Amino acid sequence: MKALIKAEIFKLLRQSKTWYALAALLMIEGVILFSAYFQGKNILDILLDNLKKSFYFEGTLLNGNLLVYLILNTLWFHLPLILMIIVSGSLTAEYKDRTLQTIMLQPVSKWKFILSKYIVAIGFTLAVVGMLALTSFTLSYGLFGKGDLIVYLNTLNFFPSGDAFVRLQYAFVSGALSMVFFSVASLTLAVIFREATKTWIVSSLFLILSNLLLKVDFGDTIFNRVFFAKLNDTWQNFFYFNINWTLVYTNSLLLCGYSLLFMAIGILLFHKKDIG
Amino acid sequence: MIISGNDLSKSYNQRKVLDHVSIGCDAGEICGLLGANGAGKTTLFKILLGLVTPDTGTVAVRSASNKKIGGIIEGPALYEYLNAYENLKIFGSIQGVDVSKKALQQCLESVGLPQDRLDPVRNFSLGMKQRLGIAIALLNNPACLVLDEPFSGLDPLGVAALRNLVVDLAAQHQLAIILSSHIIEELSKICHTLYVIKEGRMVNQGPAQELITNNTTTYTICADNIENSLALKAYETRFKGSCAHIHITADRVPELIFQLHEEGIYISSCVPELNMEKLFETTAP
Repeated sequence: MKALIKAEIFKLLRQSKTWYALAALLMIEGVILFSAYFQGKNILDILLDNLKKSFYFEGTLLNGNLLVYLILNTLWFHLPLILMIIVSGSLTAEYKDRTLQTIMLQPVSKWKFILSKYIVAIGFTLAVVGMLALTSFTLSYGLFGKGDLIVYLNTLNFFPSGDAFVRLQYAFVSGALSMVFFSVASLTLAVIFREATKTWIVSSLFLILSNLLLKVDFGDTIFNRVFFAKLNDTWQNFFYFNINWTLVYTNSLLLCGYSLLFMAIGILLFHKKDIG
Repeated sequence: MIISGNDLSKSYNQRKVLDHVSIGCDAGEICGLLGANGAGKTTLFKILLGLVTPDTGTVAVRSASNKKIGGIIEGPALYEYLNAYENLKIFGSIQGVDVSKKALQQCLESVGLPQDRLDPVRNFSLGMKQRLGIAIALLNNPACLVLDEPFSGLDPLGVAALRNLVVDLAAQHQLAIILSSHIIEELSKICHTLYVIKEGRMVNQGPAQELITNNTTTYTICADNIENSLALKAYETRFKGSCAHIHITADRVPELIFQLHEEGIYISSCVPELNMEKLFETTAP
């Protein structure tokens, strides 16, 4: 199993498409940072026009913390899309190039092989989110400095710089769970569809539907609380003044459960299907 | 038998691809599977290699090795962006074999591949990829090797080199080797036993030379002045340049060659022309 995981990591890192994807993500992050600066300026002008006359704000509000928050808001579509392409591609490429046949002609267990793919996909996803968190903080703080964070969620919430930094870190961790879910789902779709284009189309559809359904209010129902699409903005809970930790833990556990369910389905299907 | 597949059947979408087929191969033996495109050769090989589950029948491989059977299906499938060493390392490490540089060099040497090529295998010729594919198939010392259309797409030199490699592997390592082709000439040169498959059914099988002899009804004999031969008048003959296509059974060929020699006609070549229709129409016992 360890050898299979090592082989998967080696293959992933030796493929140029992995590095293109990482470069694309960094480029997107740069563009987001650039646009977030102007977006943040406009938002602050609208929100604080009256408040600035009555309150004193320490430092500039258009600071690194606000920019990281704005990056977080826009990152959760581009990031899963690119992750899904890379992760599903790690299996569809093996089908296309028939290297999967060559692997299965060795004394290797099918379920161990696909499980190693899932493990590497999860590790890669976490590493990418980690890299984006690191670069977001570094670039934002480096270019715009630290300061208090102002966020509008039902009402205006103010967070001192230190508190904001911690909350943003939590948000990245929570967002990483969503990204893991999308990566795992895309690998399961690759097991089902085998072919790259079909898998990408269905993965994109899955992501778009998840984002659309996230906005739909199904009322105060269990479905509204446990449906996977509704769990993907759990990270926003860290920007209410009082964090609802019970909700955060429940949603995170549910999301992990969904990821495990999709993984189990993928492993079962892969094990059941013939290769070739 | 090292490997034996018995009563194997497989259908895809109610279309029968294999119909109660049996095949076997012993240590040191080279078995050829002859069939037209779409006859069911690849499906049979996928079943033998455990990639596809048959609807009926069983496959038994007699070997104590961790890896009982190695093979290549539909051409070598390699990680094109990796070099030969890295490919061997990937496939070797996942099954726990020695992947030290020395061991990998030996693998490359055993299939006649250069050890100084460190560029990605996408730059390799098809013949080199085929050899690397065989090296990967041979990792972990399987008792049996299954090669699907190994000569397909190779130039004549590549075909000859691969043919020698297959013969060496069977003779020196006592491997049971099953290989398929739709070209009889390739199989007849190296196979001990031939299986003929048509539309998913095994229609003929037996010792290769016996099968070829029994199904050869025409010989092409080339020689200067052959059109003036008196001996050939006794046979149904068509002339084309300095060659004669003669309808004759195998047992009468030595006598004809003697007669031509007596007439002062010196033969430059004598090639048996297999009657493919007869070979593919014979019902297996």
